[in-house]
Amino acid sequence: MFSYYLRLAWISILRHWGLSLLMVCAIGLGIGAAMTTVTVNYLMSADPIPEKSQQLYYVQLDSWDVNDPFDDGLNPPDQLTFTDSSNLMRAKKAFRQNVQAQAFGVIEPNDPEMLPLIVNGRANSADFFPMFNVPFIYGSGWSNESDESKEFVVVLSKETNDKLFGGENSVGKAIKLEGNMFRVVGVIDTWQPKPRFYDISTGAFNDSEDIFVPFHLIADEKISRSGNTNCWKPSGDGFKAFLASECIWTQFWVELKTEQDKADYQQFLNAYVQEQKQFGRFQRPLDNRLSNVMQWLESQEVVADDAQMMMAMSFMFLIVCLLNTVGLLLAKFLGKAPEIGLRQALGASKSTLFSQYIIESACIGILGGVLGLILAYLGLKGVEGLYGDYMKGLASLDANMAIFAVLLALISTILAGLYPTWRACNIQPAQQLKNQ
Amino acid sequence: MLVMKNINKIFQTADIQTHALRDFCLQVNEGDFVSVTGPSGSGKTTFLNIAGLLETYSNGEFLLDGEDVGKLNDNGRSRMRNQKIGFIFQGFNLIPDLNLYDNVDVPLRYRGFNGKERKRRIEENLERVGLASRMKHLPSQLSGGQQQRVAIARALATDPRFLLADEPTGNLDSEMAQSVMSLLEDINQQGTTIIMVTHDAQLAQRAKRTIQVKDGRVSELAIVTPHLNQAIA
Repeated sequence: MFSYYLRLAWISILRHWGLSLLMVCAIGLGIGAAMTTVTVNYLMSADPIPEKSQQLYYVQLDSWDVNDPFDDGLNPPDQLTFTDSSNLMRAKKAFRQNVQAQAFGVIEPNDPEMLPLIVNGRANSADFFPMFNVPFIYGSGWSNESDESKEFVVVLSKETNDKLFGGENSVGKAIKLEGNMFRVVGVIDTWQPKPRFYDISTGAFNDSEDIFVPFHLIADEKISRSGNTNCWKPSGDGFKAFLASECIWTQFWVELKTEQDKADYQQFLNAYVQEQKQFGRFQRPLDNRLSNVMQWLESQEVVADDAQMMMAMSFMFLIVCLLNTVGLLLAKFLGKAPEIGLRQALGASKSTLFSQYIIESACIGILGGVLGLILAYLGLKGVEGLYGDYMKGLASLDANMAIFAVLLALISTILAGLYPTWRACNIQPAQQLKNQ
Repeated sequence: MLVMKNINKIFQTADIQTHALRDFCLQVNEGDFVSVTGPSGSGKTTFLNIAGLLETYSNGEFLLDGEDVGKLNDNGRSRMRNQKIGFIFQGFNLIPDLNLYDNVDVPLRYRGFNGKERKRRIEENLERVGLASRMKHLPSQLSGGQQQRVAIARALATDPRFLLADEPTGNLDSEMAQSVMSLLEDINQQGTTIIMVTHDAQLAQRAKRTIQVKDGRVSELAIVTPHLNQAIA
């Protein structure tokens, strides 16, 4: 009977095409608006590294002013001082650890015809690459030994390698960066985690970097640092004083395999801070935190409040559209009262009729879902156009969202169709047959 | 066999109670052709609706093929309508969106026949009413008489025990009406019990039995079998 009902639904939709089109448009508009905002929220709140997001922890230590807490005391500072991150690196208490900061520089190409290239960079530890599962086309990241021996090594993004070496394997070749020669050890494949979880201090949805260099180069002033810096007391004169100051500008990640490892590392952090208190630092109460990737993104409110508000409003709009659909379905089904009465006379039970008309509602829902997908695609293109690079990569529908859109439309329309269908099934056949 | 004993039907509104049927008693035997006449508002259609299980009754006893109709739920009533009763209406009541084939197919779908069986029955019954060549036409492409023939084919497709006809010739000209009446007589000859409500006294006379309904009661019961009348003459 299912195929029969589908056929009847199709005939009915075509026969009452005007009313059907209105319903499909109402559902399509509602689904389109809802899916546009749901997609943005979904991509903003997606797990960027699901295979190990539970093992990667961002480290926070409360090194802030005892009289003027960071973030009104709700959260410890979102970055570490150079002193603390260097100490934690030296301790090597985690399975993997990475200290990093944003950097920038100018590359002088070997080809004299080419203009110098200004690049965004990341100064980080050797563990950055295996820790965050960075994919390589050529070579690999540098080793811990390279970090320790302060080698001038560099990892290029695919785009940078394309610009400098025409996409060829450049491992072993040299580039001139900030006046120093760097040996290329690896070329990263296209890699753009969304959100860019490993550093959200400069924008959770910014592009990943053009080059990656060892962190020690910043301390050695071989490359310029950038990114956010916050200080709660003067940093003193000169770069060495700045490095030794209480200014926070480095980020520190650790990879911990088990809950026990996490507990041990937490204990280590607490012991470290207690030790630092002896030097007059860390005057605030103990508040050292280890946040896994999703906890970290949530605490930093990567999904903006206004995006969530927009989503709530778009769902309210969907409800309004569905209420309109209820009215239109009611008009359509009650207009079919004579046919319903006849079908009852010919042997259709109420449950049979209910199935028939709920399937018709579902068909309208699916058509509305398809229209909603098209409108959501256009809506996302509009959002991308409106916000530019900030929304790049966030404004795209994947298979999950497409399936979700159609399911949402289907379920919504079936719910919207329940009352009209119930009314239709309770039509008194005798009355209808007499009126014909 | 259809047996109604002291059937009452009361329509209740906020202020008024209307007795459509009062202690209505009737027995229709297998193979009967009963015409039901009476003035407007006498309760003919209400009787037919109750006989066709399209309407419930307030009290009384109604047995259809020995089964107590009052004890059936919606599914049971639907099943009985589908299996034992065929309907012919004054307004034909064909589904305008469906062609003749699909119109006749409707009760067969609810009966659960397979595709082959449904096709056989549809073709056979459309052939029987002389419209096999137009099975892909929509009802709007047919004359009134042809539409009524399709309705008859649809009613017969499930091989019902009872055929309930409510003014089957009411919307037809006299020639068409005679033709439809002849078809009903043929169907009755082949064993289907027919109960027909009509205003037309001439057509009523062509039934084997005529009953008159007045004020919700069977006021007169007469056997007016034409063959019998001829024999007496």
